[in-house]
Amino acid sequence: MLFETKGLTKYFGGLAAVSQLDMHVNQGEIVGLIGPNGAGKTTVFNLITGFLRPTSGRVLFDGHDITGKKPHCIAGTGIGRTFQLAYLFPDFTVLENVVASFYLYPRFHFWGAVFNTPAYCKKEKYILNQAGEVLRLVGLDKAKDELAKNLPHGHQKVLGVARALAIKPKLLLLDEPVAGMTRDEIVFSLGVFEKIRSQGITILLVEHNMEVMSLCDRVIVLNFGQKIAEGSSEEVRQNEAVIQAYFGSENAT
Amino acid sequence: MNTKSKLKKTAGLAGLVVLLFLLPLFIKRPYYVHIFITTLISIIVVSSLRTIALSGQVSVGHAAFMGIGAYFSGVVSKELALTPWLTIPLGGLAAMIVAVFMGYPFVRVRAIYFSMVSLFGGIMIVNIIRVAQKWTGAAGLAGIPPLSPINIPGLMNITFLGQKVPYYYFTLLLTLVCLAFLYRIEHCRVGMIWKGIAQSHMVASTVGINEAGFRVLALAVGCFFAGIAGAWYAHYNLVVTPPAFGFLPSIFLVMYMLVGGRHRFSGPIVGTAILVMVPELFRGLKEYAPLILGGIMVIVVFLMPQGIAGLFDQMKAKYGEVRNRKVPGNAV
Repeated sequence: MLFETKGLTKYFGGLAAVSQLDMHVNQGEIVGLIGPNGAGKTTVFNLITGFLRPTSGRVLFDGHDITGKKPHCIAGTGIGRTFQLAYLFPDFTVLENVVASFYLYPRFHFWGAVFNTPAYCKKEKYILNQAGEVLRLVGLDKAKDELAKNLPHGHQKVLGVARALAIKPKLLLLDEPVAGMTRDEIVFSLGVFEKIRSQGITILLVEHNMEVMSLCDRVIVLNFGQKIAEGSSEEVRQNEAVIQAYFGSENAT
Repeated sequence: MNTKSKLKKTAGLAGLVVLLFLLPLFIKRPYYVHIFITTLISIIVVSSLRTIALSGQVSVGHAAFMGIGAYFSGVVSKELALTPWLTIPLGGLAAMIVAVFMGYPFVRVRAIYFSMVSLFGGIMIVNIIRVAQKWTGAAGLAGIPPLSPINIPGLMNITFLGQKVPYYYFTLLLTLVCLAFLYRIEHCRVGMIWKGIAQSHMVASTVGINEAGFRVLALAVGCFFAGIAGAWYAHYNLVVTPPAFGFLPSIFLVMYMLVGGRHRFSGPIVGTAILVMVPELFRGLKEYAPLILGGIMVIVVFLMPQGIAGLFDQMKAKYGEVRNRKVPGNAV
């Protein structure tokens, strides 16, 4: 088991945004996290990546307890993430966005960077190469000199994925990776996710899009911060509780 | 950038440096040389302020770190009779250490809140200097030794006391070294990370960048150079007073940076040169002279939002065919 949460709970004042969530992700899986609006999906992501501290419960990753660690430390353990809104470095070019994201591997030395030592130059060259490769993987290599803020929304989201790949993650968290994309972009993104998986990277994603759901090996359904169902996307679709959560019960007035 | 324009730029820069080195041949009046020396010192400080601003934090207490350098170097060289050549770097280190200790709590807040906290931090430092009368003097520190003479028998014998021209040359050298260092930091990976943090600290931390640590690093680097410049100023002026490092000078430093343009490395240089020297031309106006400063400020804010050094970029964006023009740095 690569990743696990145990009794993960987060209160915002009196409101339980996430309560007693137990979930796990196995090595090599693509797992979907779905639920109606306000179910707590993004909160779960923020709890995992350290942007929020859980009220109680634990997050285990790769055999380590990462509960309540700082975001940059969690990134260092090998969890990459994207955001629902396309957060990037807007004033950097596409290439610079990815190059700047290559911070963890290889590490650089302050004085080496300042004095431009041969070792540092070699690292920069390596990073430039790797960044080009990542951009080719996500299909942005043609737009690499474009400013990130000038990209269309779909491309910005893909750039978010490229950025997350730069830290060489073991687990990739994608928050609504295809929301607001056109059909063509969605089809392309699905291919990208497959390729990422084939590189041995495990993916946990939040999504509403049904095509993306069908890519998932397993789907976890949240409602009001609680897990109400888990299984393959087919199973979940038939699940009584899930249907009720999305469409309301028949008896509702 | 193609090689030709790069060559042009280098040639222009070299020409400027040569001109600055030849300056004392044309300008004989000590007062004018004095103006050039203070301008050069200010350029170091404002450039170091911009280095901090790269990481998205505008410090409004930067002059206080100049003060730490000035007082530390002044007191230590006076009391312990050490040579200023040693105490000036120590003054820079002292400012850097204070910046790191203050930085850790301060970087918890961002943008305008950081500016507010830095304002109070600056006032606090100046008050501490004022209170430590035993060493820093009641009204100011007097009797700071000048730079010790450089005496290499048969080669050169440079004395500094009461001399403007040697001070000018060494200040110019110091400025060039400091600017070269700051330029390198900005244009390597460290500077890139600072600019990234300024644009989105959340994205920066998701790729594993310790953004708080890098912001403290920006403060440390910036304050080190402010401390060096302050210490240098102390051993040039030989008298320092607390108001020289208080709130108003800090505001002026920010103003020099913004008028020059914070998105370009040349911004602080252009801004400081213009704002220090132009009011000198209007000395005849006496108490109305500050109006000239205000006038320049208003014109720049309305017509050149990217500062004077950014004017070229601005023109290119408006009239040139350059699409996707890159704005280096960030916007607050």
